[in-house]
Amino acid sequence: MPKQGSLLAYTVSRLILALPTLLVLLTVLFLVLRILPGDPISALEAGRRSTRDIAADKARLGLNLPWWVQYPVYLSQVFSGNFGTSLGQIYLGQPVLQVILQKLPATIELATGAMLVATLVGVGTGIIAGSRRDRPPDIVVRLYGSIIWVIPVFWLGLMLQLVFAVGLHWFPPNLRYEPDPVFFPPPSHLTGLYTLDSLLEGRIDKLAISLAHLALPSLTLGLVLSGFFTRTVRANLLRTINSDYVEAARARGIRERYIVYRYAFRNALIPVVTILGLQFAILFAGAVLTERTFSWDGMGTLLLTSIDSRDYPMIQGTVIVYAIIIVAISVVIDVINGFIDPRVRY
Amino acid sequence: MGIVKPAEAEDTEKLVRSSSSIGTILNLLLQDRRTLAGVLSWVGIGVLVSFVVIAIFAYPLAPYDPQRIFLTPPNQPPSLQHLMGTDDLGRDLFSRMLYGARTSLEIMTIGVFLALAIGFPIGLVSGYLGGKLDRVLVLVMDSVYAFPGLLLAAMVALFLGKGVFNVGIAITVIYVPTYFRVTRNQTLSVREETYVDAARALGAGNWTVIWSYIAYNVLISIPVVFSLSAADAILTAAGLSFLGLGLERPTPDWGLDLSDAQKFLTSGVWWSSFFPGVMIIILTVGLSFLGEGLNDIVNPLLRKERA
Repeated sequence: MPKQGSLLAYTVSRLILALPTLLVLLTVLFLVLRILPGDPISALEAGRRSTRDIAADKARLGLNLPWWVQYPVYLSQVFSGNFGTSLGQIYLGQPVLQVILQKLPATIELATGAMLVATLVGVGTGIIAGSRRDRPPDIVVRLYGSIIWVIPVFWLGLMLQLVFAVGLHWFPPNLRYEPDPVFFPPPSHLTGLYTLDSLLEGRIDKLAISLAHLALPSLTLGLVLSGFFTRTVRANLLRTINSDYVEAARARGIRERYIVYRYAFRNALIPVVTILGLQFAILFAGAVLTERTFSWDGMGTLLLTSIDSRDYPMIQGTVIVYAIIIVAISVVIDVINGFIDPRVRY
Repeated sequence: MGIVKPAEAEDTEKLVRSSSSIGTILNLLLQDRRTLAGVLSWVGIGVLVSFVVIAIFAYPLAPYDPQRIFLTPPNQPPSLQHLMGTDDLGRDLFSRMLYGARTSLEIMTIGVFLALAIGFPIGLVSGYLGGKLDRVLVLVMDSVYAFPGLLLAAMVALFLGKGVFNVGIAITVIYVPTYFRVTRNQTLSVREETYVDAARALGAGNWTVIWSYIAYNVLISIPVVFSLSAADAILTAAGLSFLGLGLERPTPDWGLDLSDAQKFLTSGVWWSSFFPGVMIIILTVGLSFLGEGLNDIVNPLLRKERA
């Protein structure tokens, strides 16, 4: 048994605690996907195909069975990673999980880019506002923080597209890479992250193309998310900047700028990490919309094309993978938090 | 999507003790007209009321029928005849935007009120009784809360089908956990108040204590969450429509019109994408101002800090 209070013990306990959450999410999704009035196949295919075909499809997927038979089968499928094969036209017959794993890197790349933008912009503006309380920069930043999160991410994306791609031609309007594979062969598939693959291949030109395509989508999603960081960093900085140990530092004659960065800022960041976990739900929801806006070929686009092509196993698989990712991230965030702030381990 | 945390329990404690909820908030709003929080709240109320007026009087306000197709070439830029231009079918965008307010507010009202009607009582009972039931409910609500709301709503909307009411239901699913959390946390702190102990000592049953003593005092934290979740609900509804899961064409709806306009953007047709977004932003910014203003007003500690 690892020692109580050690990071390992904490990690193990977080993992165990994550299981019920995952189970609840899987159950909620089961309820939505299977129990909601009507059944998925009829809802998806009504009017398009004969009732006999629909019945056959249902039998094949086991959807005609009562729910107490379906539920254990569903759980065992999820935990063995067997999501069945696609019924849609594009990926017909391919294993669902395999297709999802092909699309996952694009979403990870977009999410990472967006988080980077959100952190840089959010922490930057938060410090500016927090260290100049109630002065003009603070008021501007606070206005930014309360307006940016209610801007529809897809609209912001379209406007950035309009200005920087259609108008100024600084960036390509959409897609992950140049559409012509003969003149612009994409980087070889190692990780699926185009930027990382270009680096591994040692091709700066390919890296430049990938980054140019990544720029606008990341900026769009990152800006919308940054408001949260701005507000949290500002509020926490105000709290720490008035605390006794900062006051003590000030009394010793340490310069204000140094106090902000060395004393107040580090402690202001801890609560940010704590609530960071909830931001990932917003991040992934926003990513679906951003992917649609920029024809970004990731999991969100996969989900939407599966809905269009009435591909039930693929829809179910994609949503479940989202749930697993969300739970996994929350564990990672908790562990990181335990690492920076040992007090939370108990 | 993003919901700002409710006022912390201890901050509202002082106010709660001496308050009768909604009436208090109204009083504070009238007193606070000159402070930043007051101004924000009143701007928010102004925006909300204007949109409600637009929604109710869309018929006399709109210059044209939102479905009327003009036989001039489609995608006309804004002009005096068509203040916001026309869309790809040659319909007057300005009229569609006014009618779109109706759609948005209908969906928002259904979604947010239903979520309140479900989340509030469950939160009260769960927070007051505690125990195993509470722990299970917290686990379920927190799990749903952690999942991307838009995706969950998309799944519900997908299987329920399109339409205002169905989208409203899909949105309800997202915000039930929000109201549950706020209500439960507030209940936990009110439960420990002396007057609640006194009521119990006099022999009041659980039911009486919850409804006559606690519910009223928990209600004060609701308006803040209500405006913020309303703003979020409008964004989510627009997102659903943008993804093609919300409403049936040709319903005038901001998200749907935006999604139809997207493909003309690269040829320089900016107005049909621009204006729907502006309408969404004005309404959601108003609601978010109202939420933040109310938060500062209801939250006495923040007031002291500002003074």
